[in-house]
Amino acid sequence: MTPRWKFLFAGGLVFILLVALIFVPILRRRMKRAAKLQQQSEEQARRELTQPIAINPGDPRVKTKLFWASDTIDPALVPVTVDLPLSSDPVLRSKQVLNTLLAGPVDAELRTLPPDALLLAFYLLPDGTAIADFSEALANSIPSGIASEQLAVNSIARTLEANVPQVQRLKILIHGQEVETLAGHLDLTGTFVVNTKPVQAPVQLAPAALTPDKAPTKVAQPERKP
Amino acid sequence: MVVLDPAHGGTDPGARGTGGIRESEIVLSFAMEVRRALEQQGFQVVQTRQGNEDPSFDDRSATANAQRGAVFVTLHISSTGLPGTVRVYVNSDLAPVAGSNGFIPWDRAQVPFLGLSRTFGDFVQGFLAQRFKGSPETAQTASVRQLRTTAAPAIAVEVSSVTVEDRADLDRMAPGVADAIARGAAAFRPSYVVPTTPGALP
Repeated sequence: MTPRWKFLFAGGLVFILLVALIFVPILRRRMKRAAKLQQQSEEQARRELTQPIAINPGDPRVKTKLFWASDTIDPALVPVTVDLPLSSDPVLRSKQVLNTLLAGPVDAELRTLPPDALLLAFYLLPDGTAIADFSEALANSIPSGIASEQLAVNSIARTLEANVPQVQRLKILIHGQEVETLAGHLDLTGTFVVNTKPVQAPVQLAPAALTPDKAPTKVAQPERKP
Repeated sequence: MVVLDPAHGGTDPGARGTGGIRESEIVLSFAMEVRRALEQQGFQVVQTRQGNEDPSFDDRSATANAQRGAVFVTLHISSTGLPGTVRVYVNSDLAPVAGSNGFIPWDRAQVPFLGLSRTFGDFVQGFLAQRFKGSPETAQTASVRQLRTTAAPAIAVEVSSVTVEDRADLDRMAPGVADAIARGAAAFRPSYVVPTTPGALP
């Protein structure tokens, strides 16, 4: 190869390198943007398919206890009483209370569940086992850790215990699947004990204002399947 | 023997702080400190991982289950909670093991050890509470996946938290956490009698 060709070859290589340095980051940015757009539209479609159960204003208003994080003791739950029209059907009622729990308290710092998490489905088996199927955001967006994951599950279990006496135990699924842990720590392969008392008809109470109740509450006791 | 389990690792970083703190890295350095403190107390120590690997939950449990008379400590850093506090967790109550064929089901290997885990956890938590103000006085209960399949007195130690601005704040806690675990293990040792499994031959 003559020196002239060598010079042209080297020049060509430098040119290609420069072009790659300029265009590769641009291409990468565009691909990232396209992936994000696709993700957003998928999430939008899912949200449209899984509209939360609306509260029916015709239903009798009931003092509903929702368990969110305590602002004084960490990590603990505190019941907050909200006056809500709730269905007498245990499945609809469970969906209504869980969607209200997911919507979160006025003070966002006291949330126990991620704001983007959705309840996709809820079933109640004849033996009192409730199956709550949440979107992946419950597992992906929750702060990872034993304390935070236990608090999230306890808030779901205690809210069901307080408002839906037909629910005896709770199984949590993520996007229709059984998962080993919520976010790397808390065991979701079994069921959690919710109610141990005999089932009674829900009591209709007089309207009440939004009021924090008593001291932080007990921990949900998980159990293993036989 | 003490089986030390630095949680997470590999592609699983565990909790992540805004300052780039990764739980999987911090627990590995904590494990080295805890190991030194335990060895000074005369314990033999085995780690479930030495570097940035991510053994499965079952593989980590198997390290302890292969030893008779071992105790198991899994180390975690939380992403919530009051920074500078430490919590010890023992597994929640599990349904008793049915049948009497002499075997413990793998998925409930912790069942015969729940009482011992509680005693061990309370010892360690007591020493931690003396050192780290705001920590509970006794061990907490939680449904920790890692503990369920472990056939040994088993505790999870969770330090708060990855939200600290400077990693040095967590590093400064390591000697105190290590000392409390080592003293807790030493205090627990005399009360540790390996339980007989249901239906086991005499």
